[in-house]
Amino acid sequence: MKTTEKIDIRFPKTLAEALRLQAREETRGKLLAGGTDLMVQWASGVPAPGRATSIWNLPELSSIEIFPGHVEIGAGVTHAFLCDCPQIRAHVPALVAAAATVGAKQIQARGTLGGNAANASPAGDTAPALLVTGGSVVLASLSGTREIPLSQFWTAYRQIAARPDEIIVAFRLPQKGKARERFRKIGTRRAQAISKVMAASRILVEKGIIQSAAIALGSVAPTPVRLGAVESFLAGKSLSPAVIDEAERLAQATVQPIADIRSSAEYRRWASGRLVRDALENL
Amino acid sequence: MTKRTSQSIRLVGKGMPRVDADGKVCGTTRYINDIDYKGILHGAVVRSPVPRGILKAIVPDAAFDWTGITLATAKDIPGINVVHMHDRTMPLLAEIGGEIRYRGEPVGVVAAKTPELAAEAARRIRLEIDELPPLLTLEEAVAIFKSAPGQLDTMKEQDIVKGDIAKGFAEADEILEAEYRAGHQEQLYLENQGLVVFPQKDGSILSEGSIQCPYFPVHELNDPLKLPPEKIRVRQTPIGGAFGGKEDYPTMLTGYAALPALKSGKPVKITYERNEDILFTPKRHPVWVRYKTGFKKDGTLTAIECDYILDGGAYLTISDVVMFRGILHCAVAYRCDNVVIRGKVARTNSMPCGAFRGFGAPQAIWGIESHMDAIAARLGKAPHEYRLQVHARPGDRTPTGQLLTEENGSTACLKLALRRSDFAKKLRQVSRGRLRKGQKKLYGVGMSFFAHGSAFTGDGEAKFKAKGRVELAALENGKPGVNIRVSSTEMGQGVHTIFTQIAADALSLDPAFIRYPMADTGLVPNSGPTVASRTTMVVGNVVHRASLDLKNQIEAFASLRFFQGAPAELRASQLVAKGRKPLPFAKVAKAMLAEVGSASGFFQFVLPDSIQWDQQTFKGDSYPGYSWSANVAEVEIDPLTCEISVPRVTAVIDIGRVINPVTASGQVEGGLTQALGYAVMEKIGTGRNGLYDAARLQTYIIPTALDIPEYDVKFVEYPYSFAPPGGKGLGELPMDGLAPAIANAVEAATGRRLRQIPITPEAIFEALHAGKKGTP
Amino acid sequence: MSTIKRTWKVNGKSVAVRAPAGRRLLDFLREDLGLVGSKEGCGEGECGACTVIVDGEPVVSCILPVGQLPDGTEILTVEGIEKKRAGRLIQQAFVECGAVQCGFCIPGMVVSSYALLCRNPKPSVQAIREGLAGNLCRCTGYTKIIQAVKLAASRLPKRK
Repeated sequence: MKTTEKIDIRFPKTLAEALRLQAREETRGKLLAGGTDLMVQWASGVPAPGRATSIWNLPELSSIEIFPGHVEIGAGVTHAFLCDCPQIRAHVPALVAAAATVGAKQIQARGTLGGNAANASPAGDTAPALLVTGGSVVLASLSGTREIPLSQFWTAYRQIAARPDEIIVAFRLPQKGKARERFRKIGTRRAQAISKVMAASRILVEKGIIQSAAIALGSVAPTPVRLGAVESFLAGKSLSPAVIDEAERLAQATVQPIADIRSSAEYRRWASGRLVRDALENL
Repeated sequence: MTKRTSQSIRLVGKGMPRVDADGKVCGTTRYINDIDYKGILHGAVVRSPVPRGILKAIVPDAAFDWTGITLATAKDIPGINVVHMHDRTMPLLAEIGGEIRYRGEPVGVVAAKTPELAAEAARRIRLEIDELPPLLTLEEAVAIFKSAPGQLDTMKEQDIVKGDIAKGFAEADEILEAEYRAGHQEQLYLENQGLVVFPQKDGSILSEGSIQCPYFPVHELNDPLKLPPEKIRVRQTPIGGAFGGKEDYPTMLTGYAALPALKSGKPVKITYERNEDILFTPKRHPVWVRYKTGFKKDGTLTAIECDYILDGGAYLTISDVVMFRGILHCAVAYRCDNVVIRGKVARTNSMPCGAFRGFGAPQAIWGIESHMDAIAARLGKAPHEYRLQVHARPGDRTPTGQLLTEENGSTACLKLALRRSDFAKKLRQVSRGRLRKGQKKLYGVGMSFFAHGSAFTGDGEAKFKAKGRVELAALENGKPGVNIRVSSTEMGQGVHTIFTQIAADALSLDPAFIRYPMADTGLVPNSGPTVASRTTMVVGNVVHRASLDLKNQIEAFASLRFFQGAPAELRASQLVAKGRKPLPFAKVAKAMLAEVGSASGFFQFVLPDSIQWDQQTFKGDSYPGYSWSANVAEVEIDPLTCEISVPRVTAVIDIGRVINPVTASGQVEGGLTQALGYAVMEKIGTGRNGLYDAARLQTYIIPTALDIPEYDVKFVEYPYSFAPPGGKGLGELPMDGLAPAIANAVEAATGRRLRQIPITPEAIFEALHAGKKGTP
Repeated sequence: MSTIKRTWKVNGKSVAVRAPAGRRLLDFLREDLGLVGSKEGCGEGECGACTVIVDGEPVVSCILPVGQLPDGTEILTVEGIEKKRAGRLIQQAFVECGAVQCGFCIPGMVVSSYALLCRNPKPSVQAIREGLAGNLCRCTGYTKIIQAVKLAASRLPKRK
């Protein structure tokens, strides 16, 4: 019997039922959405849990809603669904661009936004694009829902701020409005690639002056990170070559990447700055 | 070709659809893991957890339930614990008191009812090992070679000497020296290794599985299994890709599975999952190659001196022959009177390297083709003009002294590749490190030119005498037809199709009458392994000649039986005789089978007497024929990120007569794509623990459909006159030259020469920005 | 371990499913239903040789637990493709274009091509490349596969 067959998987039909299961330690299971990360981990030697709770296709997690000023994306929405949604593309384009780089079609059909966030890999493709929206994660438990800013969601390497009894239900993301968004991933190849470095940005320029800048990187730290120092440097500046140079340099000075199988620390540091330049040069 | 044969059936040269395609597109082809074997055990290999040490004890966990599980260790080896390979040094399993030489070296094999139970049992075996310090990588070996050459642990050395190298350097106006490196490359056939060994009542074994060279286990395992060749039968199942990766290794796997099979009396299947397959099966040899070349101001090469060192891993296995092919390709494509090439196979504490498409040649060509560009740059010549000036052509002598007598496509390949790619014009647009007007990416174009020797090295084919049979038989549909009986295996390259075409033409018979059953050493003569770009040229000739032999027999029978002695001819699936009503082949064949029993045409390959080779001195005719090629690659490098892409590749190729242009260009596109991976993305290192660091498909990166360039593949045909229908080797050639063409294009784009592949964004970044200097 | 009891439609036929919930769809198809056309090349969703279509979407069956497929799920594997007109056209085009070599990736390729043409009957070359990017092939260099999908698309009956 293969490892995953030994797992006792529960299939709650509703969010409420799932929350009840997760509320008590005796019934709580590893949350399993599309399985595109967890099934791979379990196949490659990460010990499988005794119990899992499948939240794939829970109706409460599967919708996208557009509100004035923000969008709410269910945690169970797949990357494929995101890519096909024109309103989301209009309001949070970097996220859609990021979702389009997850694996390939087969993975996009099963991988979910919530799963990608909960997996908390520093290379999670959608995380930087989520971060730059300045939005939040909606967590639910039997005791109700709460909202955590995305900036506080990834707490350490593969750690998230959700409690064991909580389930990510949605992402509340402010719309970009007049700001421009950009996403760029440097991967190991053009598809099915895990990133060496990636960047998402949301930058508002009015009359040549940067009003606000949100820039986030993936694969350069134990968690996806916002480049606070670069952002505050940029605020109020006009978009000149010198400013771009300095932003690039600042980004390179800020990040502390490591070397691993996919890239070197030196390249990642350099490329971090280059992607900041890319964002600024393409406004 | 005789003049009668090709009048009616002419399939050679046409893109006949593959004979095996239907089953593959419908999913009905049964690979080893698709076959439902009943009552078999599943084997798992117990491996050393350290790269080097002395094995002290093998301790099965007493707390584990071993009921129904068979554990075989070296003690269970019936004969002498050595797999023949090329030097009879590698044990089948490490034994107690013996030295473990690489991480993962097999120590035992367990067999159990399920793969999961076998894997669990294997984990429950503790090995006591006194560890010794390992030497893990070629890099460490080369460091020794450079500081104290005598201390390098080599398993094989071979020199090639032509002319007087000292004189050559003395005559030179300039000398250029440089080193080039490449790491391991994984074959990454999509179907993992797998086979089943069935113990037979008479003590013999039958091994069935994804096996590229069925006769290898037959002749390599006699000592350990204490079985003569006739008691080891090997049968091929459809092969889901091999590329050399299932050449030498299935011998080991057969040996591993045979031990618990013989011990338990039950069939044992071993099939790897991807991770185990990448970690513990052979790869392309890492290389370090140093060229020192002397040349005159006019470009004439006066001296080529080359050191070529391969990382053989812990045992020689077949690495001597890989190194031989490597050194024979180090300078074969250029005119030079004074050449010294010193080849070595270094020993390291790593998984033995093995066969992979190209077999030492891509490593050699990676070096020389990078170096030729560097020489051209030093001379101030354009790379293509320099190659046009000094490339080898008919009438020239190779480094081993072989006179290139046959007309060949060397010059034609070069010229056509340059023309089709518009090379000279594109060369004027290259960036050389600075974006030109209108360019968003650094643009470069580069080329390579090379030959690939077809068939076994030297007089190998003369000694081997490949045999094959084409037999009249009742087919599976009950109708009479013809079986091709050779040991060449179909592994995707299309041999079942092209041999059907060759036989159909030779027999003048509709291919619907022709079958090519999977190779089975119990049924096919030994036409040799499916390797060395030898199949079309050598075995294709055997099939051609054996078909003609059978045709004569059928015609003789028809003449006597149906035409009262009038000469008969098999033409377009009919037996025709002057003034008689033609008879369908099926009718004649049926009568022949009924009255004569079986009939078969046979042929044994012979080399021309003119082929002379001295294996001791490496002098003479190193290959019976050469295929030629020129590649042109265009690259774009994003100055923002150093990401590299290869938008276009041109490959012009002389493989002699093209038997099937569709399968042939498919081979080229596939080989070029493997070479693309080798050049820009496939990277696998060795950790301090002795394990490869990219042992999954998430980490070992090969090109996807989005990564490939637009290919322009064109053949020029210079048929091999000695062996009709005149094909030369194709399989390996497309793997040989794209990496240096890309490196040369990168140099044109960036102004920096990269001397190590893969050329990743990190490598380009280092060359451009991190102060690590490339030199011209 | 938990066991599921479900009814699916596999290649148009109703199938009673009883399996551990965590059983991989690939194992269920191959071992329980004998549909061995779908291949395992990596076991981690990278190679695409196990691609099947679940409710219209191409998925990698090696990382999909059967428990997540409810009653009524419709699954199409390479074995069922032949009965679809577009599927047969794709298979024929693969044969004609020489898109097949060792064949091990081909069932997954055929299934991904089918999924692509269902969504986009006239795909550009770029769209074909993207549609097949989740299927690794080590033999062909993809070129003839891309040609085959283009050819199949050109032969699809025109809609409206």
